[in-house]
Amino acid sequence: MQFGIFSVSDITTDPTSNTTVTEAERIQNMVAMALKAEEVGLDVFASGEHHNPPFVASSPTTMLGFIAAKTQRIILSTATTLITTNDPVKIAEDYAMLQHLAGGRVDLMLGRGNTGPVYPWFGQDIRNGIPLAIENYALLHRLWREDVVDWQGNYRTALTGFTATPRPLDGIPPFVWHGSIRSPEIAEQAAYYGDGFFHNNIFWPKGHVQQMVALYRRRYEHYGHGSRNEAIVGLGGQVFMRRNSQDAIREFRPYFDNAPVYGGGSSLERYTSETPLTVGSPQQVIERTLEFREFVGDYQRQLFLVDHAGLPLKTVLEQIEMLGEIVPVMRSEFERLRPAGIPSDPPTHASLKAARAAAAAEPLQAVAERPAAAG
Amino acid sequence: MSGPRSLVVVSAGLSQPSSTRLLADRLAAATEHELHRSGIAVERRTIELREHAQDLVGQLLTNVPSPSLQDAVDAVLAADGLIAVSPIFNASYSGLFKLFFDVIEHGALAGVPVLLGATGGTARHSLALEHAMRPLFAYLRADAVPTAVYAATEDWGQADAPADASLADRIGRAGRELAQAVTSRERTTMRDEFDDPVPFEELLRRSGST
Repeated sequence: MQFGIFSVSDITTDPTSNTTVTEAERIQNMVAMALKAEEVGLDVFASGEHHNPPFVASSPTTMLGFIAAKTQRIILSTATTLITTNDPVKIAEDYAMLQHLAGGRVDLMLGRGNTGPVYPWFGQDIRNGIPLAIENYALLHRLWREDVVDWQGNYRTALTGFTATPRPLDGIPPFVWHGSIRSPEIAEQAAYYGDGFFHNNIFWPKGHVQQMVALYRRRYEHYGHGSRNEAIVGLGGQVFMRRNSQDAIREFRPYFDNAPVYGGGSSLERYTSETPLTVGSPQQVIERTLEFREFVGDYQRQLFLVDHAGLPLKTVLEQIEMLGEIVPVMRSEFERLRPAGIPSDPPTHASLKAARAAAAAEPLQAVAERPAAAG
Repeated sequence: MSGPRSLVVVSAGLSQPSSTRLLADRLAAATEHELHRSGIAVERRTIELREHAQDLVGQLLTNVPSPSLQDAVDAVLAADGLIAVSPIFNASYSGLFKLFFDVIEHGALAGVPVLLGATGGTARHSLALEHAMRPLFAYLRADAVPTAVYAATEDWGQADAPADASLADRIGRAGRELAQAVTSRERTTMRDEFDDPVPFEELLRRSGST
């Protein structure tokens, strides 16, 4: 089971000190978070992609490439890469380059984006959100698997004899997740390709998360990638921890009450009871997170949002350290509960490479074994 | 056709009791009466929007529906007939009434028979039903019956209105229209896109790329 953090890269005024970090500070803070995540033993750091203030993460591969150079082990990912408004050719090139530089420690999560004006800013129409996601990914999928592509579609200029360079590292494309909150077409898409499905899980009702994951699992089986229990599922979540749960609630409340995403809505108590937001002790976070598997099944990746709403870097790094303390506990609990045969981890570059080598060796083995069997 | 029809009543009255709820109950009773005469059983559920006011604001600000609000919305979406009643404030239905219909996805009420009602201090506001509330339901593609009922304060005391124009007459006529629409409507089961997703090959084919 992989555990990690994902950031939306918001610049939000800290309501307790009335200070606001600069873009320069926020960018460096995100790097510091990723380094801390590796240091404390987390598995994944994922960056959002936004093209409007107050967000800084417009260029994820630049940031992830920089982090790759400063880390050894952590997987670099996105949450999410906009498959609708980015040119799939540029995604193919950028992420293959990142994959080479990071030694294969790269996967990416595709999403449609939730900021309406981004579509017209990038020359697209939001009403084509689903068709764009389908067409663009179909092209991206081919660009990473076919050396020379002839292609024609509706949303970008046609390609004749095009080769995306660099080719994926070792000829193995980065693993892809598809993220969506409510669109069955995206669960269907993830299932069709045998890719991962990620639900951000932050806005419940739980029933919606369950419905999307169940559809993905059923269709993953339908398309012959394995049983529904073997499908690759990731979830988001958001936490704020202190040793004593009352301290966590007291400290987090002003951030909750003033956050652009929650402020003026329901109370912190109500929101924590009706969504996965967990504000409390490390033990409460462990228990709450383990409950997720009860409604989506055994899954492979859990990402936490810990750096939003104006929380200062010092606090965020403390949160990551506490995650580092509880992840081994969660990992062993998840694995203890996981039935045999259900993958613990999503595919990685190393596991895909090993699987390919095993598959290549298989026919030879079969040939070698045949005379023995006949004898 | 077996089983009772579900009649869902949405009342946006603010006080308790409210004349909006009073009108909503009368409209529901008249509709039920007509359906019963045709031998159709009715399950009535009344939703007081006042009870969901905080949750409506919460959902619009944070995207998270509360379980009780979700339950109310689900009831409306599954209704065979809907009665929607609001007080008229400043030339239109109340903000609370609009908040509720703002969390309903476009198209989800398509073809659902709806009876519109409104209340206000004087009859001078009665055309708000036709100029404000009816277009809202036209946009939602609901099937609003021709008679919409407005009850001014004085209507509750007027027994000597001209024939066919008293509040009771209008309620009776509207109830008959809604009952008729509910009876004649083919019950369509919406295709569940989670139970029965569009196969990916079809999504790819629609995209037209090669």
